[in-house]
Amino acid sequence: MIYVGAEVIVSPLGNNAEDNWQALSANRSGIALVPAAGFSGEDIHLARIGSLAGPLRFQQLIVNALTALISRIDAAIVPSNRTLVLISSTKGALDDDMNDQFNATCALLQQHFGLAHLPLVISNACISGVLTLNVAANMVKAGQYEHVIVVGCDVASDFVLYGFQSLFAVSDKPCAPFDAARNGITLGEGCAAVLVSGTGSVFENAPLELLAGASANDANHISGPSRTGEGLVRSVKRTFETHGVSADEIDFVCAHGTGTLFNDEMESIAFDRLSLADKPLNSLKGYFGHTLGAAGVIETAVCMQMVRNGMLVRSLGYTDAGTSRPLNIILKNEPKILNTILKTASGFGGGNASLMIRNI
Amino acid sequence: MKVITAYCNLRADRCLVNGEVVAERDPASEDSWFKQIYKKHALAYPKFYKMDVLSQAGYLASELIKKANPGLVDAYADDEIALIFANATSSAETDRRFKQSYEEAGTPSPSLFVYTLPNIVLGEIAIANKWYGENMFAVLPKFAPGFYLDYGQILSSSGSRALLCGWLEVTATGTDVFLFMVEERETGPAFSHDNLLQLSQAREAAAI
Repeated sequence: MIYVGAEVIVSPLGNNAEDNWQALSANRSGIALVPAAGFSGEDIHLARIGSLAGPLRFQQLIVNALTALISRIDAAIVPSNRTLVLISSTKGALDDDMNDQFNATCALLQQHFGLAHLPLVISNACISGVLTLNVAANMVKAGQYEHVIVVGCDVASDFVLYGFQSLFAVSDKPCAPFDAARNGITLGEGCAAVLVSGTGSVFENAPLELLAGASANDANHISGPSRTGEGLVRSVKRTFETHGVSADEIDFVCAHGTGTLFNDEMESIAFDRLSLADKPLNSLKGYFGHTLGAAGVIETAVCMQMVRNGMLVRSLGYTDAGTSRPLNIILKNEPKILNTILKTASGFGGGNASLMIRNI
Repeated sequence: MKVITAYCNLRADRCLVNGEVVAERDPASEDSWFKQIYKKHALAYPKFYKMDVLSQAGYLASELIKKANPGLVDAYADDEIALIFANATSSAETDRRFKQSYEEAGTPSPSLFVYTLPNIVLGEIAIANKWYGENMFAVLPKFAPGFYLDYGQILSSSGSRALLCGWLEVTATGTDVFLFMVEERETGPAFSHDNLLQLSQAREAAAI
């Protein structure tokens, strides 16, 4: 069995998974209106971490998250030759050094934490987080490493904000995934870390099971979602097949749900094709904004908290159905025993990825 | 066994496929080096002109591999070829140009922004071939055979029957592109650490 646990979340909602969970339980959002943040001096809704400032924000976030994670596991495994750190990120330390967005950070982490191996960076746009968790599970399963620490991190930079503005993809209100009035993303920043391991005893608190999934390309467009949801359908189908799981067994779907017209519409088509349309579903972007390379890890860590706390969390920002295929979007928090959950992600470059988490 | 069945080395002034020179840069040409290759090999894919340098390099190298090895990809279903790519500088060259667009040219360019992610080249190759398989892009300090061997092993055991792998470094100061195809064969150069190191450095016979 592949275990996952010791989740840490650093976001505008708090510096650990528990504080984040308190905020989610109260349906509190990390999104706020930031004056004059836009390219033309417009006020923009962003999910920024107030305490995070100055240079090396990417590095600071990862060091904080890793330090917190290590306090929740058997610290003896950290310097082991059988342990690898994987980093999921899109733009890394772009604000510090455009020509070296990752390598200096990796070298620092290796030295700071006494790692046997240099951390490996996976950069696949918005599916990076889910993909990296799958890579971690597969590495453990193949016996390449016994423990893989997965860190997802991205900071909200002007670079990325201006880019999404240039695509007219930034919401003029806090993002509203799957809602009829949705009109774009809200950019966020944050960092999450989990330990993926073949050894259950290295976790301080009981771990969950990670069922690694597949990724699939849409082969359609580099920045526009597929109209048929083909890549997402293929990814989820293969994830189900790999583990002999059927759609009936899924208790909850944590969707990607960016809040753009086309992405959310594509997901509704894919979930309908997958017979998942009646499953309780949310997007967590209304709480964290879109944290790009961190999103898949942050959202999976929240899923783990949902399983641990036996609670479905409301899909913040959603009020009226706004996709061509109806979905069962969670309208209010609701206690529920969650055994098997599905997490999906889709992104630029046509990527789609999925994984499952199971209560043990 | 897993065998390297084809490879392409694309450098600042020469392009080689399976160790043979297939294009040489004409310094007098008005066309960019990548455009020279595109024209010389009569490729007909107008999207090429919209791509950034990373995507152009990946597209060219993958097309030249296919051209020199007819039938190479026909044996596979549309989701059986996995793409495993890496480089050291992510999309830094296009990042720099996008930053220039809003700092110096007055407005952020959407057509540059969509290429400010290193994995976009994987999307371009997937679109050009209608491939729905696994994709992964990693950022490493330098070309590392072990990365491809480890992850190739994982994908091969989860349904991918062939791998198209690439090291794709295209910056203002240099071009170092190495794409290679890995398939199941009885004979041929093994998908191994030493062979990858050697082929990544391949020179045309005359220069050795």
